[in-house]
Amino acid sequence: MNTALHYDLIIIGAGPAGMSAAIYASKNDMTVLVLDDQPAGGGQVYRHVMQNDAAEKKADFLGSDYWSGHKLADEFTRSSASLWPESRVWQITKEREVFFSQKGKAHRAQAGAILIATGAMERPMPITGWTLPGVMTIGAAQTMLKTSHSGVDGALFAGSGPLFYLTIWQYLNAGFDIKAVIDTAPGKMSLLHYFWALPALLQPSMLIKGLKWRSEIRRKTHYISGATAVSISGDSQAEALSFTDASGKQHRLEAEHIFLHQGVVPSINLTMATELEHRWCLRQLCWHPKTDIFGESSVQQIFVAGDGMGIGGAAAAISSGKIAAMRITAKARGTSSLNAVFQMVRQVQKMAIRPFLDYAFKPADEWLVPPDENAIICRCESLTKTDITKAITLGVSGPNQLKSFSRAGMGRCQGRMCGLTIQKMIADHNSQSEDKTGYYRLRPPIRPLTVGELAALADDTPTS
Amino acid sequence: MTPQHHKDRVIIIGGGIQGCAAAYFLAKRGQTVTLLEKDNIARRASGVNAGGVRRLGRDLAEIPLSLAAMDIWNHLSDEIGDAAMAFHPSFYVKVAIDEAGHIAGMARAEALQQAGFQHEVWLDETEIRKRIPCLARNISAQNMAGGEISGGLVVEGDGWAIPWRIVHGFADAAARNGATITEHCHVESLKRQNNVWQIHTNSGDFEADIVVNCAGAWAAALARQSGEPDLPLTAYAPMLAVTERRPQILNAVMGILGHTLSLKQLDTGQFVIGGGVRADADIHQNEAGLSIPELATSMYRAAQLFPDIAHAKIIRCWSGIEGYMPDNLPVIGRGNQDGLVHGFGFSAHGFQLGPAVGEALADLVMGQQPRNSLAAFSPQRFSA
Ligand SMILES: Cc1cc2nc3c(=O)[nH]c(=O)nc-3n(C[C@H](O)[C@H](O)[C@H](O)COP(=O)(O)OP(=O)(O)OC[C@H]3O[C@@H](n4cnc5c(N)ncnc54)[C@H](O)[C@@H]3O)c2cc1C
Ligand SMILES: Cc1cc2nc3c(=O)[nH]c(=O)nc-3n(C[C@H](O)[C@H](O)[C@H](O)COP(=O)(O)OP(=O)(O)OC[C@H]3O[C@@H](n4cnc5c(N)ncnc54)[C@H](O)[C@@H]3O)c2cc1C
Repeated sequence: MNTALHYDLIIIGAGPAGMSAAIYASKNDMTVLVLDDQPAGGGQVYRHVMQNDAAEKKADFLGSDYWSGHKLADEFTRSSASLWPESRVWQITKEREVFFSQKGKAHRAQAGAILIATGAMERPMPITGWTLPGVMTIGAAQTMLKTSHSGVDGALFAGSGPLFYLTIWQYLNAGFDIKAVIDTAPGKMSLLHYFWALPALLQPSMLIKGLKWRSEIRRKTHYISGATAVSISGDSQAEALSFTDASGKQHRLEAEHIFLHQGVVPSINLTMATELEHRWCLRQLCWHPKTDIFGESSVQQIFVAGDGMGIGGAAAAISSGKIAAMRITAKARGTSSLNAVFQMVRQVQKMAIRPFLDYAFKPADEWLVPPDENAIICRCESLTKTDITKAITLGVSGPNQLKSFSRAGMGRCQGRMCGLTIQKMIADHNSQSEDKTGYYRLRPPIRPLTVGELAALADDTPTS
Repeated sequence: MTPQHHKDRVIIIGGGIQGCAAAYFLAKRGQTVTLLEKDNIARRASGVNAGGVRRLGRDLAEIPLSLAAMDIWNHLSDEIGDAAMAFHPSFYVKVAIDEAGHIAGMARAEALQQAGFQHEVWLDETEIRKRIPCLARNISAQNMAGGEISGGLVVEGDGWAIPWRIVHGFADAAARNGATITEHCHVESLKRQNNVWQIHTNSGDFEADIVVNCAGAWAAALARQSGEPDLPLTAYAPMLAVTERRPQILNAVMGILGHTLSLKQLDTGQFVIGGGVRADADIHQNEAGLSIPELATSMYRAAQLFPDIAHAKIIRCWSGIEGYMPDNLPVIGRGNQDGLVHGFGFSAHGFQLGPAVGEALADLVMGQQPRNSLAAFSPQRFSA
């Protein structure tokens, strides 16, 4: 086998959490390897920021928050941490071996400590027609803006959440025409929202920003709030979107491009496949890896930071990455972790707005499990809600058992697209909690790995 | 056939292929039989194995049983109905890619001829290529052993099956014939008192005249607990990988003489790759380990035979808990205590044998002479 590379700290993910951890640890004389599947550091929020900066025509329309990431990415690039870009991590072991593929070859590396900073993914929005060509996520629309400054005119946007408003705002800034914005967040705030808005006042700039995006969207687009019963129709391609507005009136709008969004959830494929312990977060309706206050998981010396440990946003990700790095460094040096505790106080402030956002944009049941029996749930195997319901009524206790009855979750996405929906369907059917229902048992490789790449680790001495 | 002594209250422990096949043959012959499975039917090795229905390469002692099993596989729909469609017969090939493999293959063919078996034959390179046209022309390796394909051992009619469908097929057929199948029922202790087995489980107690121990990797612990002498069974977790769908290029199940590879392409176009590499297993936690890097060599070999496979994405890897005996032969026979019959320790090649083992276990339970000698599989062979 390849002789293993060895580092004090291996960080998976070069988003705000991973970059800030790498900066701190490398400054403190730790040897650091950062692996990210993208061509450069930045993560989701600051995707392509270094490349955009180097480009002749900067993408100003992405806003000052985006550009604030340049400083961080620049500092990261200058640090002594080595970044291996375009590296897909597909397995890590409890013994802290990291396996990844880069340029058609698999590699292994050994770490003193591992920090998983793999961020978030968009929560799938499985409504009727969501798998039709022409339907994409808001994230995909934003990625196009960030990486190629491209977009489409005349698109429909349906959903809700901070990233929803931000991306539409960026879309408008970039000069694209928007046909309509169909907001699925409840039209009115409830008492709970007002309650959680109080701590959110600790982050006034965030609140103001959000209100600014929303008011600009209201002003500049055909904006409908409180939408329910959203569905997409079309034969071989999205043709129209139908919905009911807050007053109960039905609408049908034609469009070839439709962008959906229903918030983001931690990417748990790596943490779950490493068999770290997780718990179900009722407020964010997703799984969080269990960690101590520094981010150390149920497996010693494996840490988690950033949105991958629970959705907290970019500022909180920077802070949690730094806390983890402080703790990892202190443990390696045998020194005190007091600085990490101080950092934590700031972290609390950076998270103040979260409960408000979580409650304000909590997806209603109809976005979690489609009411339409014919809606597709498992994209890879083309299974409809009826197919899944049929399998569930055979008497399954959790998603794993469902696999052998229906093949749901056995396709190439490894359940990323259907896991939360199926889990909820089983939980509802059995009247049991999500915690008890559990999630798919995820196993490596958690990123596509070709036969040829894996073969690069081969070592064969004939057996006879 | 009507049994002379209507032995009721047969309890089978374990809902893998062996337990389910035994339940089926017993129920079909009119016995009252209950099967207890701690998890779900086919949840363990029997449901997650590579599905290789293979006579090729079997130990000489195992061949008669394997041939008997094949007779049943070939008329499987008579026994389990539509579930039999999960069996896809084709042929099995183990090619030689180096001198050692060539010599071993020729010697094996010779030995089989002398023992009077005709099913497994040596074919030369031209014959092999005629049957598998997509096989790489030049398989020379960069840094590893292997050169030219010089021929291979072939068994016509071997193939592959979707394992959990087959096992469920046996369980359903058993139930149709009156057997009771109980899942989530963990046998915690087993004691013989006044010629009756007292079976204590997590969901109630049972009594039985005869117990059939088909508890797979857990069977030796169960036997010891019941008062049997120690049986040298070790649990490991053989591993497999499956790729995305690719254009159909392989109609046979393949291996390489002297190297770790088992390769097939399903009707979906997916390749299943494995072959003898195994991780640790923990029977107390029901945990099968998985170490993908250990599969690297099998990947290398697969891509060597079919270069196109190198581009296929692996979408899933898994493993299952299997019990191994020191001589890699199963334990099939009566225990030391009365009313106890064992069928376990299949050492990673028990799926194909399943139907014949089920029949043999039914014979043992009913006090009849099994079709094939079971001498080589005697539980007592280790207590010398
Ligand atoms: C599509 C999308 C767009 C977003 N856009 C914004 C935005 O514009 N503004 C905003 O404030 N927030 C945005 N967010 C929210 C965002 O998650 C956080 O604000 C912030 O990016 C979290 O930082 P992080 O460091 O935890 O993770 P991320 O920034 O997500 O960084 C994780 C990095 O890890 C890499 N990675 C993941 N798994 C692997 C693996 N197995 N192998 C190798 N690399 C891996 C990813 O490619 C990524 O570069 C977005 C979220 C999503 C899902
Ligand atoms: C990855 C892999 C690939 C393989 N490939 C092949 C192949 O290609 N061809 C081939 O012929 N063979 C193959 N095998 C081997 C084959 O799967 C096994 O030999 C065969 O399935 C064994 O069947 P079984 O019924 O004895 O065991 P199992 O399937 O393990 O069944 C035993 C059952 O007993 C239950 N049990 C255990 N203890 C108790 C208790 N106390 N109370 C109640 N229930 C209990 C278990 O839960 C289990 O379900 C492979 C095995 C693996 C793991």
